[in-house]
Amino acid sequence: MTDTLPALRDDAIDAIAERLLTTQSPQRPQVSPTFSIEIDGRTLTGREGQTILEVCRDNGIEVPTLCYEPKLPGFGACRMCVVEVDGEDAPPISCSRNAGPEMVVRTQTPRLRQVRKTNLELIFSDHNAYCLPPCQNKCPSHIDIPGFLKANTEGSFVESARIFKRTIPFPSVLGRVCPAPCEEHCRRDEVEEAIAIRDSHRYAGDQVLKAQALGEKAPVPFEVQPASGKRVAVIGSGPAGMSSAYYLAIAGHEVTVFERDPAAGGMLRYGIPQYRLPKVEVLEAEYQGAWDLGVKLVTDAALGRDFTISDLQNQGFDSVVVAIGCYDTNKLGIPGEDADGVLDGLEYLRIATLGLPYPGHEGKRVVVVGGGFTSMDCSRTSVRQGAKEVTLVYRRDMKDMPAANEVHEMIEEGARAIFQAAPTRVVTDEAGKVTGMEFQRMALGAPDASGRRRPEPMPGTEFIIECDRVLLAIGQGPELGWTERGADGVSATKQRRLGADAVTFATGRAGVFGTGDVRTGAATVVQAVAEGRRAAYAVDAYLKGLDLDAIRTRQTLAEPQPEFLSIVPYTGEVKEPRLRLKAMPAEVRNKSYIEYEIPYTQAEAMAESARCLQCTCEAIGYCDLRRQGIEYGTTLRTLEPARNGTSFRSVSENRFTGTNHDYIRDDSHAFILREPSRCIDCGRCANVCKEVVGAACYDFMRTGFDTLVTTPLDMSLNTTPCVSCGRCAETCPTGALMPKPRVLEKYEVDESRCILCGICVDACPYDALRCGPDYELAHDSRQEPTIDLLAISALDRDTELTYVRRERDWLARAQADGRSIPAGRQLPMLPPGAGNGSGNGGAPVAGGGHSGHLHSR
Amino acid sequence: MAVIAGDASWPSILLARAGTPDAATDIEAAEASGAWTAWRQAAGTLAPEQVIKLVRNAGLRGRGGSGYPTGDKWAACAAERGRTRHVVANGFEADPGAQADRTLMETDPHAVVEGVALAAWAVRAHDAIIAVDARATVAIERLRAAVSAAEAKGYLGDRAMGTGSPLRIEVRPLSGSFVLGEETVLLRALEDRRAQPDQRPPYPYARGLWGEPTVVNNVETLAAVPWIVANGAGAYAAIGATDEPGTTLVQLSGAVKQPGVAEVPMGTTLREIIDKAGGGATGSLKAVLVGGPTGGFLPADALDTPLGHAELDAAGAILGSGTVLVIDDTTCIVDLAALLTRFDGDEACGKTIPCRIGTRRLAELGAAFCTGRARPTDAALVASLSDDIRDGALCGLERTAVNPLRSGMRYFAQEFEDHIVRGTCPAGVCQPIRVAAVAHR
Repeated sequence: MTDTLPALRDDAIDAIAERLLTTQSPQRPQVSPTFSIEIDGRTLTGREGQTILEVCRDNGIEVPTLCYEPKLPGFGACRMCVVEVDGEDAPPISCSRNAGPEMVVRTQTPRLRQVRKTNLELIFSDHNAYCLPPCQNKCPSHIDIPGFLKANTEGSFVESARIFKRTIPFPSVLGRVCPAPCEEHCRRDEVEEAIAIRDSHRYAGDQVLKAQALGEKAPVPFEVQPASGKRVAVIGSGPAGMSSAYYLAIAGHEVTVFERDPAAGGMLRYGIPQYRLPKVEVLEAEYQGAWDLGVKLVTDAALGRDFTISDLQNQGFDSVVVAIGCYDTNKLGIPGEDADGVLDGLEYLRIATLGLPYPGHEGKRVVVVGGGFTSMDCSRTSVRQGAKEVTLVYRRDMKDMPAANEVHEMIEEGARAIFQAAPTRVVTDEAGKVTGMEFQRMALGAPDASGRRRPEPMPGTEFIIECDRVLLAIGQGPELGWTERGADGVSATKQRRLGADAVTFATGRAGVFGTGDVRTGAATVVQAVAEGRRAAYAVDAYLKGLDLDAIRTRQTLAEPQPEFLSIVPYTGEVKEPRLRLKAMPAEVRNKSYIEYEIPYTQAEAMAESARCLQCTCEAIGYCDLRRQGIEYGTTLRTLEPARNGTSFRSVSENRFTGTNHDYIRDDSHAFILREPSRCIDCGRCANVCKEVVGAACYDFMRTGFDTLVTTPLDMSLNTTPCVSCGRCAETCPTGALMPKPRVLEKYEVDESRCILCGICVDACPYDALRCGPDYELAHDSRQEPTIDLLAISALDRDTELTYVRRERDWLARAQADGRSIPAGRQLPMLPPGAGNGSGNGGAPVAGGGHSGHLHSR
Repeated sequence: MAVIAGDASWPSILLARAGTPDAATDIEAAEASGAWTAWRQAAGTLAPEQVIKLVRNAGLRGRGGSGYPTGDKWAACAAERGRTRHVVANGFEADPGAQADRTLMETDPHAVVEGVALAAWAVRAHDAIIAVDARATVAIERLRAAVSAAEAKGYLGDRAMGTGSPLRIEVRPLSGSFVLGEETVLLRALEDRRAQPDQRPPYPYARGLWGEPTVVNNVETLAAVPWIVANGAGAYAAIGATDEPGTTLVQLSGAVKQPGVAEVPMGTTLREIIDKAGGGATGSLKAVLVGGPTGGFLPADALDTPLGHAELDAAGAILGSGTVLVIDDTTCIVDLAALLTRFDGDEACGKTIPCRIGTRRLAELGAAFCTGRARPTDAALVASLSDDIRDGALCGLERTAVNPLRSGMRYFAQEFEDHIVRGTCPAGVCQPIRVAAVAHR
């Protein structure tokens, strides 16, 4: 023992050690004394020095946090982790309060949830951002639209189709028949006009089909899972059934599709005319992707006629998906409806779509009743089949027609349309043959549940249209006769639909699921596809033996949307008009069944896709704010389109509205994208940058409501001491700081100069650089971020909880490797010269090679 | 600000030397009126523990706003083991309308410095900081003069008053917003870090300046300590209310005949203060705002509320900076409450979400009341939001920023209802309201 450093005695070293421990190391010694603490009614063991939050997370109790960074001591800015402690009036925040013996803590009382919910509502009231881009949000199947448009822009059409197939297996089919609800919500319309989203994926899909014709296989969106040994029967090969089959096959199940008709396709084949959707070139070619995955097809087998649900289950199918669609045309309920010459529109199309002329149609005067896609198809097909006069009659206004955007094309082709008129009776001659149809004018009343104005009859305005044929296309329902035999437990709803859950798709019978039109009633193709895909997730979960109610929670969590604020419109962009598909002249196409729209050239497709503003939030799926907003119900389920003349995109259910900030995006940095409008001022980036990295690029600037965590004077990150480590983007709980995924693709590493130090592998927060088997250092490009919410919701995400656990294991690992001090207190590195002699707390130092600990003898 | 005399029966402790202006600038004059005797006496005869005991027995409580027993705080700090300790005297006086502390520091800097010395002795701290708003130049100058004079006489410095231990006192000018009055914010500012509050506990007595145990007291609290040491705990405890003895400085302003700073025994009712010190209200008294921008409104019939932390809290106000603003019927409570809330929100440091956004939303709701744009549900929304802000609050500013609107809605519900439902302003202050309200409907 020497006396060279008399000033540094025990308590001085204590003080240094304490400061190092409390300011630098979140990993407190694991050997601290333990005590018991009651949290949410559970008696748990805590260690001295742990915060309440740490005890909670150690024991799997989820306490929401936004500003808590596991590497650092609690900060206390977000107030989300408030908990109630018995005997304390004001609820403390768990990240900053040490747990103590005999504490009684509650983490989920109504009062706490109220405080947290208010917090979130306040955040959202100044969160000038959204999660999914409006287009993707409005798509029933939530396609990653910015993603595939980006791939299109780069000319990677197969990749584009692959991205598309993650949510919809049929880009070319949907590229022709989708009503494109996405385009109505495209924010490009703030600049000039919405992007041709549908035509863009149509082009990408067609490139795949062309490659398929040359013998290549269609891209598969996900890795095909090894065979599960489970068998699934899908009844119906329409869009819903085939989408289910497709994703179930990818999930590794053996899928057999049963089809009532001689060929697969359902409504796509028998309901949509050839001129809109070529059967061989497009439909069959695109379905080939599913057959390639091993999906089997049994044709001419109808549910209820040839087999029952019980039969299938007896044959060893582990699960049955009913996706038989809607084929039962609704009745008008007017006199003369059964007269000779009144035809079911679907029956008519069924013959017509095969390219066969419907008997006796030529030269006839035809009236089509209805305003949906079927009515449009009936009218336009009738024109093509040589009808003398085609009149479409719809009871509402034109803008309320589901198929409004086709009306102009129909009229160009020679049909005529009458709006706001409803049929009252069919006029027949003595032989019971149709000679005309009587209609009554309709006035538009108050908006109904669908938001459209309800038509109301105007007595005395009756008029008659003379005709020889009436095609009824007024909607259809499912045929449900099969539920009566061999399908115990499966039942119909009051609305004459198949009774199946909207989220888990489960019917009343175990292993039997219902999806598509048969569950929802007649809807669009894209809705059917979305149904089919979501049902596939549910069936997959069922086959894996997972709890379907858990799936329900996850799926409902994944579906709703944090709400919009007033989004400042894009106005400064260069105007580039939309490239429209050219069509054949009406007088040519009204005689032809050939597809009449002329697709894009490659240059046009790339140019059109390049118009996309990429207005998505890249952090979606990783955003804590979104997750908590959903959990606490501070979200909206729907987004409203821009109201005319204002920049407001949203209404609010949020109780708080008021001024909000609009900050400028900073993309000057090569790797880190700053979007301050998404910042919630939690301070994590500032704390991590300062305390962990030491660069201190960020801090709180300004005061009061205008406070923002940003760089000094809001300057570019390039002018700060930024070392591009990316830890700020890693810690950011929202999308305010992000790596630049859609810009950063691949960087070359000059291997001739690499010294194989491996520091880049250690430092890279995104795993873009890895130690490979062949080299000390291998690198691969970052994957496109997955934006499929439902798929994400099914994943076990790396949460802060697992992060903390993993970080905490360091001691166990160190001990296993013999690198650690076995017992007693652990001192981090002392300043040189400080630990001279016996003042080291008396802990015996064992295990060599720990140069950070000084020991004198 | 003018020092006003109160009732003849009110003892004079803090402003005892207000009558001898020389005492503020000349240490000899100050000593002639009794300054530095307590410190001499303590350094010679009293152990630190005995000083703490004296202060505790005197029942002295913090005058900075929270009213925490000073003796307990000192004892807790002294009990922290084996480390450097600090004393910080908070003379920042964040409330822009208050000048009580500044008046104290200007009229009797020696009492403040001596109080700091006693506090440092009690917790065995060797350095202390008196933090003063940089704009209070006279106070800074006089405090600095007092410190140098005391050092020259050996009362402070390396062997302060012959105790053998060093005691250095620094007068530190600070600039910053309202939130700097909060003790953890003040400590961060003294460390040259960003002025944001930290979660308490740990309280500063355990982890304060530079992470070391620190006693943070208001200058007014400390200035009372020399008197306690000189005159005994019992004498102090006999003054004012039994559970909260002593005197405090009250600043009277607004519609009173005689505005200024008065020294008032704790427990005196607001009515007595206004009548005896302020000479009564000038017009028809409508309300008083007690506690500054984060304080609360009390109506005329609550004037018998005694001056005390518990009583004012229960009534919806705070003692806060000790200001009593008398409001007559030409003032609109809604308008003033909205204005104060806006001030509180703008002065916030921006650290926590409920404070940064919540106070702004409150202020916006208040502005909506004043301009006739309020929805009928907004009153309930203000109540619910202010509850949530208070429950999730990090610091005192955030917790009390809801007071103006809350207390206003509690006592002046009719006036709020007139604004929200009828679109009228009884005081005639919110002029555009009628027009706006009609246009709004």
